[in-house]
Amino acid sequence: MTALVPLSAAASPDPTPTPASATAVSALLEVRNLTINYASPRGTLRAASDVSFAIRPGEVMGLVGESGSGKSTVAMAILDLLGEAGRIDGGEILFEGTDLRRLSAAHRRRLRGDRIAAVFQDPFTSLNPALTVGRQIAEPLVQHKGFTPRQAAPRVEELLAEVGIREPRRIAQSYPHQLSGGMQQRVLIATALGCDPKLLILDEPTTALDVTVEARIIELLAGLCESHHLSALFVSHNLGIVNRICNSVCVLYGSEVVETGRTRDVLARPVHPYTKGLVAALPRITTDRRHRLSSIPGTVSKLSGASESCVFAPRCPFAEETCRRLPQALRGDAAGNSVRCWKAEALAGTPWPEESTASRPQAAPPARTAPLVQVEALRKVFGERRSILPWLRRDGTVAVDDVSFTIQRGEVLGVVGESGSGKSTIGRSLLALIEPTAGTVLFDGADFVKQAKEGDRDLRRRAQLVFQNSAASLNPRKTVGAAMERPLVLAGRQGEAERREMIAALLTRVGLPAAYADRYPHELSGGERQRVNIARALATDPEFVVCDEAVSALDVSVQANILNLLADLRDELGLSYLFITHDIAVVSHIADRVLVVYGGTICEEGPIGRVLRPPYHPYTEALLSAVPRLSGAEDGPEPERILLEDSTAPPGGGGCAFRGRCPRKLGAICDERAPPVQTAADGHRIACHIPLAELAERASVFPELAALH
Amino acid sequence: MTAASQTPAAPARSAPKRWPTSLVLGIALLAPLLVVAVAGPWLAPYPYDEMNIMSRLQPPGPDFWFGTDEYGRDVFSRTLVGTTNSLVMGVAATAISLLVGVPLGLVAGYGRGRTDEIIMRCMDVLMSFPPILLGILVLAVTPPALWKAVVAIGIVYVPQVVRLTRAITLELMQEEFITAARLRGESTAYILFHEILPNIWPPLAVESSLRVVFAILLGAALSFIGMGAQPPSSDWGLMISEARPFVEQAPWIALCPGLAMGITVIGINLLGDGLRAVLDPRNTGGH
Repeated sequence: MTALVPLSAAASPDPTPTPASATAVSALLEVRNLTINYASPRGTLRAASDVSFAIRPGEVMGLVGESGSGKSTVAMAILDLLGEAGRIDGGEILFEGTDLRRLSAAHRRRLRGDRIAAVFQDPFTSLNPALTVGRQIAEPLVQHKGFTPRQAAPRVEELLAEVGIREPRRIAQSYPHQLSGGMQQRVLIATALGCDPKLLILDEPTTALDVTVEARIIELLAGLCESHHLSALFVSHNLGIVNRICNSVCVLYGSEVVETGRTRDVLARPVHPYTKGLVAALPRITTDRRHRLSSIPGTVSKLSGASESCVFAPRCPFAEETCRRLPQALRGDAAGNSVRCWKAEALAGTPWPEESTASRPQAAPPARTAPLVQVEALRKVFGERRSILPWLRRDGTVAVDDVSFTIQRGEVLGVVGESGSGKSTIGRSLLALIEPTAGTVLFDGADFVKQAKEGDRDLRRRAQLVFQNSAASLNPRKTVGAAMERPLVLAGRQGEAERREMIAALLTRVGLPAAYADRYPHELSGGERQRVNIARALATDPEFVVCDEAVSALDVSVQANILNLLADLRDELGLSYLFITHDIAVVSHIADRVLVVYGGTICEEGPIGRVLRPPYHPYTEALLSAVPRLSGAEDGPEPERILLEDSTAPPGGGGCAFRGRCPRKLGAICDERAPPVQTAADGHRIACHIPLAELAERASVFPELAALH
Repeated sequence: MTAASQTPAAPARSAPKRWPTSLVLGIALLAPLLVVAVAGPWLAPYPYDEMNIMSRLQPPGPDFWFGTDEYGRDVFSRTLVGTTNSLVMGVAATAISLLVGVPLGLVAGYGRGRTDEIIMRCMDVLMSFPPILLGILVLAVTPPALWKAVVAIGIVYVPQVVRLTRAITLELMQEEFITAARLRGESTAYILFHEILPNIWPPLAVESSLRVVFAILLGAALSFIGMGAQPPSSDWGLMISEARPFVEQAPWIALCPGLAMGITVIGINLLGDGLRAVLDPRNTGGH
């Protein structure tokens, strides 16, 4: 720090810069008072207001916030990719001391991809499917370094090797569709590294990937940042990942920075009420099903200008009259952290209010009577064609292979797996949306598939589905009321007044005002739409609901709300759920029992408390260890992570579905014979060739969970 | 905290919808045309078929605003009277192609598999004929008449409507609200006409407005080769075709029907565009 630069805050002993005290000299990237507006048909929308932060060389900063917080807008502004509607209305973006906004467009273009590189969320659309991977990695080299494509080839291979790809020469010549999602993301990282940039902008780089793949990519990024002394801006909604990779963090809410500082300070001891809420709402692995998740009430309001009050006041449990009158300023403390809340000192030790657990009675253990749903040897093959003519025959893709399970009345069965594990196919087969290739699905003793085919509406009524995509599951041209009315009409509710009353009751039931019946889906927020979806599913008065990633697309604070709602409905209406998710922390909050599926087969099954503790199936162990967590210093060192190979297509033929990625593969036996199902305890079954005793020797992934009994 | 107490305050709904400029302009252009289509014969300064050999091929002037043709007929009067034929041809032909094409497209997109194959291959055959040839084919066997030309044009444009409808249906079939409808036991007819069809209208409205224009142009082409409106009756396409031999001597003969056609095309396009904006519920209320 030089004396020339005035410091507005007291010089802190900690060198981590704060927005207020950052100096242009020490920071690689400094964003100062950035204000961005979007022009929309209904006036301007504020996407970033007065956003300031600084990233020093070698520092990885997390930019955290929920959808609509403006985090991606800020990242795009740094990359000069705001688009037509976005307009920077104030502030500076200083890169190595020069304001990017003062540079010519051509100059900025020269920086982009050379000194500042980016990796985006979706590897599947970020690569051009018509060009080889090698050519795409070479592009920035050709553009910025004047290489010919031929000259670039050795560098391309070097880069691929650097991002952990084992056969760089072969991969360079392949096309994007031939690679898995994890490999594609590695390729994009290699592309970004090509010109030896100073700054990486990472916009949710792992959100589209499976947990086990995500763990590897994060490991890779963390390693690269360290070895290349790279700075990075890591945009993410996932606090667990931010905790793992970022030195400092900047929390955005409603287009403003609400809290910023060192990661371990902010996430372990959040000061701003919003950060407190965000951390509290994060589903953690638990074995106590009665535990209610903390949630942040309300939704993010759309801002259309400078606000008169604290942006978070409408949702803040600590808000008082002053908060609504006083615009908040970001204030730094001695440790270099800053908070935008005038009550920061008073609230420092106050935790986010806990949801009362008293209201939830311990649900009686599901009765051991006849199961509600019984699945026997379910098998589904897609795209298979049988013919007497051999050249017309085609082997299909096995999505689900020999899966059997039962669901009791009032029980919640979680199905956990990664993309392509067949979990959605299982859910849809249960509802007869997909016709199984083999096996039976009995619903309350009746053959569901057969009955549904014969048009049995009563059976249809009793089993419903809540979708992942709350927008796509509502017809955009129908009001909420119209969407909910149909199931009632089909159920024979003739009177219009009666139906309207029932719709109002259902909306109230899921925590929405009855007036929402007149709204169109696009007028609601994601969480509200998901409530409508749940209300619509409830309209038929079902006994069994399949929740297919029902909370996965929602922001953390809303996710907690919906999970609590689903848990309440289960308790009050005695519903059974099949809860499909990729997130084991979510499932631990709601499920009684869990199936862990891989490659269309069940590898482990049991009560949630037992699945989370050893003995583990090797896949379950890897899956659990890959879950990003918020662990403060008090939790001790993080346990060793088990990193799996990037996912590849499950090998065909006999043998264990997981053998291709299994870190504990025994040998030929895994390739040749299907693993035996071993019973570890009552209802806890593991399909693996490794003897139970050996599986049980592994340490628990969650030592914080008390030993069972 | 119970679920009910977390109810977010209902945000205020935005102002009532305003008519888009394109819709207003489109109506402003088309409304006079409709008046003319109905009242053309009474508005025309001269009878459309009154020949006046003394004043043939007169340039535009105070007596004849848009000049006269080879027989000395007033071009302006003929254009006014021809409005009916042209508009009817365009709108009726489009209606026929929609009436046939939309259900076929829905069935093809919903049924997929063999149904889809059969319908789409038939459409491919239909499309492989040049439109004019298909028109001629329909008309050649029997004496030409305006209504036959309308039917022919309608059939020519069926494949385009089927393709568009099918493409949108296929896309919508992936949407989860269709799965939700199947799940609650809706009939196929309900899903097709109450869930899918309302989502097809907006793109179809835009497409149809273009269709009307193409139909008028194709009708003109058919009249041009003598398969549509028959002389001495009046039709814009027929008029342009009759003006062809005199295009150097008396270019004004084609000017007036050409202008009328231009106004129609622009008006209908604007109307279609405006309709799409109005029909979309997403253009009302918040985000």
